[in-house]
Order: sequence, then C-alpha cells, then structure tokens
Amino acid sequence: MTAGTAGERTAPTPEPVPVPGPPLPADRPTRPARRREARAGLLFVAPMLLLFAVFRFGPTIGAAFLSLTDYRLSGDWRFIGAENYARLLQDDLFWSSLGVTALYTLFFVPLTVGLSLGTALLLHRAVWLRGFFRGVFFLPYVTSIVLAAVIWKWIYDVEDGLLNAALGVLSLGPVDFLGDERLVLPSIAATSAWKGFGYSMLILLAGLQSIPREVTEAAVIDGATGWRRLRWVTLPLLRPVLFFVLVIEAIGAFQVFDAMYVMTAGGPVRASYSLVYLLYDTGFKFFDFGYASALGLVLFLVVLVFSLIQRRLIGRDE
Amino acid sequence: MARLRLPVLLFLVALVTLAPFVVMVLVAFAPPGGKTLPGAFDLTRATWENFSAVLSGADITRWAANSLVYSLVSVVLILLFSSMAGYAFAKKRFPGREVLFWSFLATLMVPFQATLIPYFVLVSRLGGVDTYWGLIVPTLANSQAVFLMRQFIAQLPDELFEAAKIDGASEWRIYTTVVVPLITPVLATLGVFVFLWHWNDFLWPLVIGQSSEMRTLTVGLATLEGENVPVNQIMAGATITVLPCLLVFGLLQRYLTDSIATTGLKA
Repeated sequence: MTAGTAGERTAPTPEPVPVPGPPLPADRPTRPARRREARAGLLFVAPMLLLFAVFRFGPTIGAAFLSLTDYRLSGDWRFIGAENYARLLQDDLFWSSLGVTALYTLFFVPLTVGLSLGTALLLHRAVWLRGFFRGVFFLPYVTSIVLAAVIWKWIYDVEDGLLNAALGVLSLGPVDFLGDERLVLPSIAATSAWKGFGYSMLILLAGLQSIPREVTEAAVIDGATGWRRLRWVTLPLLRPVLFFVLVIEAIGAFQVFDAMYVMTAGGPVRASYSLVYLLYDTGFKFFDFGYASALGLVLFLVVLVFSLIQRRLIGRDE
Repeated sequence: MARLRLPVLLFLVALVTLAPFVVMVLVAFAPPGGKTLPGAFDLTRATWENFSAVLSGADITRWAANSLVYSLVSVVLILLFSSMAGYAFAKKRFPGREVLFWSFLATLMVPFQATLIPYFVLVSRLGGVDTYWGLIVPTLANSQAVFLMRQFIAQLPDELFEAAKIDGASEWRIYTTVVVPLITPVLATLGVFVFLWHWNDFLWPLVIGQSSEMRTLTVGLATLEGENVPVNQIMAGATITVLPCLLVFGLLQRYLTDSIATTGLKA
C-alpha cells in the first residue's frame, strides 16, 4: 500500500541524534558573527521551509477548516459548523467503509508480520546464499502496489487465472477470489502482503541480529531448542521491534486504497470499499470537499491512536 | 535430512515470491488471444507482439516520460533542498531552529490521504492541475529526507567547516565544496529511495494528472486495467513499468537493504 506523498510513510518518528549545544564561553562568537550565522541558517532552510509552509502546514490546517464548511468544486462555501461530522455519524456508507478497513487491517497485519517474521527467521539462520535470498524476498517491495494489483488480479481471475488453473488440475474450484464477498478482503490482503513484507522483514532481521549470541547460546545449554527457544527466548527479546513493525503495518493498512482501486473498484457490493476509497470518491467523484475533509480527519485520528499506542507499548518495554 | 530443511524452505519461499513476476513476463510474451494458460508456458511461441500493440495502442511512451520527469526532477530538488535544510538544522544556530525542525517532523504523523482534499484544492486554485509543477512541487516537502540529512550532517565534526570559514570561504562555497562531498553516500541512498517513491507513487498523480497526457506510468497502467485491454498487453505494460525498479534494484540491492536496516527509511 502506498501511503504518503510519493510513498512517504506515516511513521512513528525515531529519536533524532542530539546536536551539540553552543560552544564554551571562551570561543563564543561575536555578535555580528552570530547574526551572520543565523542569517545563513535561515537562508539554507528557506526553500524547504517555504515548501513545508505552503504544502504541509497549510493543508493540515486547511483540512480541519474545510471539514467545517460545505466547500464545493466551484469554490463557493458556507461555514456549517459540525454538520459534516453529524452527517458522518448517520452515513451507513461511512460505517461500512470503516468496517471494511478494520477487517482488511485484521487480515493484512498478521499475514504481513507473519511472513516478515518467518522469512527473517529463515534468513537469520541461513549461511548459504543469505544475501541472494534476502534480495529475492525484498524484490516485490521495490515495485508499486499498482503493479502487484495488476498481476494478482490476473492470478485470481476466475476463468483464466493462474490460481484457478492450479486448482483445476486438482479438480477443485473455480473460486471467484475477488468476486466473493468473504474472499475479497483476504485476497487483496495477500497481494499487499506479498508486495510489502520485505520492509518489515529487514527491520526484524536487524532486530534478530542485535540479539546477543550469548543469550541464545545460554538457552541452548539450558536445553531450549527449536520452537521453545523461539517462543521463550527470541520472541520476547524481539518484542520492541515486533511492536514497531505491527503498528507501522497497521497504519499502512488503514490507508489502503490503491490495490482496491485497481483490483475490485470497491466491489463486490462495496465489500472492499475502504475509508480512503470513500474519501477519494467523495472528493473526486462528487466534489464534496467539505465532507471528504471530515473523512480525512477520521483517518488522521485513527492513525494518531495507533501511533500513541505504539509510544505506550515501546515506552513500557524499554 | 534435517540439514536440508532450511535451504529447501528458503528455495520454496523464493520461488513463491518470484512466481508473480515470472508469470507476468510469460503472459507478456505469450501469443495474443485465446486462452493464456497453458499457452503462456510454451516459450517456443514467445512474441513481441503484445509490446508493440500496447505501445501503439496507449500513450505508454508519454507516460514513461512523465514518470521519468516526475521522479528525476524530484530526486534532484529534494536532495538539494533537504541537504541544505539538514545542514542548517545540524550546524547553524538560528532563532526557531528546534521548533521548526520538530514541526517538520510532526508532519510525518499526518497521513497524506487525510490532507489530500485541501492539498488538491490549494494546487488547483494555484492552477497546478495537469501541469508538471503541480505534480512535482507539492511532493518536495519531504520530512524523512530532511530528517535523514540532519542526522547525518550532525555527526560530521565541526572543525571541517570551521577550517573553511577561517580560509574566508562563503557559506554557499562551504556547502558546495565541504558539505556535499562529505554527504555523497547518503545523497546516493536517499536519491534511490526518492526515485522509487515517485516512480511508484499513485494517488497524487492520479488526482492531479487528469488528462491522458499527464498520466504517469503507474496511473496509466491502472487505467489500462480499467479499460478493455487484453491481459497480454496489460502484462506487457506492467513489464515496462517494472523495468526501472528492477534496474535500480539490481544495481543497488545491497545498498538499499542495508540502509533500511540502519535508517528505517520506508520506500
């Protein structure tokens, strides 16, 4: 799933490295020198600052403002207070899109994290051709979700698709993966998981590699092997990284749109019509910008809650 | 037997991971019309027909050019502006530095889709719909890039810049002759990520490029899927779309995977 502008992901922010404070009083620069430095600093941030002011801070405030208006394509608008939000609570389509998004997240997150963890564990133990396999598993991640959706749409096809051809050989099927209300979300989640698991895999692999060797060796000496070592030694130590990965994938899942737009157009009968899909249609099909902005604010709040939960969990763990 | 389990598992997972790419290429080269399976697996009948059909039927070359412009111009400008800002945030004292930096970072918490509407209203009022600047300029405000640059430049010793200053070099000269050479490896890594972000981007190009001439390749591919284009031609189009990603990946795989583990950059 693509999230932010040009794939920039909404991600919990890591802690930045501290910048050294002012130098000791002995070599404190003179006042004109400090003024020169301040001017240079401001000039160097100026282009980015201008871009952020116009295209980030502006729209963020604008979103809250627009959601309180009935702004339309013509540019005419009236201030209507909380009307959009009242309408939201009454809107069956909103609730069903929220349900679809939540259900999709429930399918996608365990699938992706399971795949990432499984492949990370395999790679961690591999000695032979590890770099090669890491590269192969990471490959889908550098492609676009639209490409993944286009390929998988054909793989899932009822008449002509690869999966149904395989099922046919076993005299099973045909199964209408994308046309069945119960199968459509897991099928799309599988496509997104295939496309996206490489990122979390690398994060988890780095986490595994930072576990001190002595710890796992001690566990082996104590007789913990295989599954028990994984369950009682490796996974508990990996917990902070696992939480990070879980939350970041959940945030991404809640913004799902691209795959549904290409694979099902929200169907069948809105069984894959997500929150962002509703936002997109409200804005760019019905040009109801005020109401669409209110939907955007709901999305923001959900993502915010996810991030706060993560702060909590990781904070407690460390 | 137990010793073989790991390599066999790795090999099977690799096979499943690659399978969708393999079938994409096979269907793209299969003879058009009729059932694609199992005909697609008969390599003796491979043909370029689907490629020439999709190239002549749709605006693919124009879309590819748009994608290239969108990605490359963004790479150059983001690298320039974010390294300048990162240098100032890391090495210059000026009023409001901390507040600004943190407010840049805070924008990471706001999903792009949540502000898509005001974003579009703003750019369309400025006359940016169906233009290259409307497509590119709003995406240049990239907080991950600024963050990465500041982190890296903060770790460089101050003496490097002080020496140049004592020699009487201007601030701009220090940036171009001292800072830029020192951060070239990070610039390269970030450049690859920015390229992939933009090449694979979908929602923003979809809403801002409303005519066929302004579509990028990903948007074009999605519209092909929506029209009644035969599957062989769609897969040929998909193959063309993925080539630059594969090229970047093939050349810089190790670089990319290492930098995710150390910086957490998310393509």
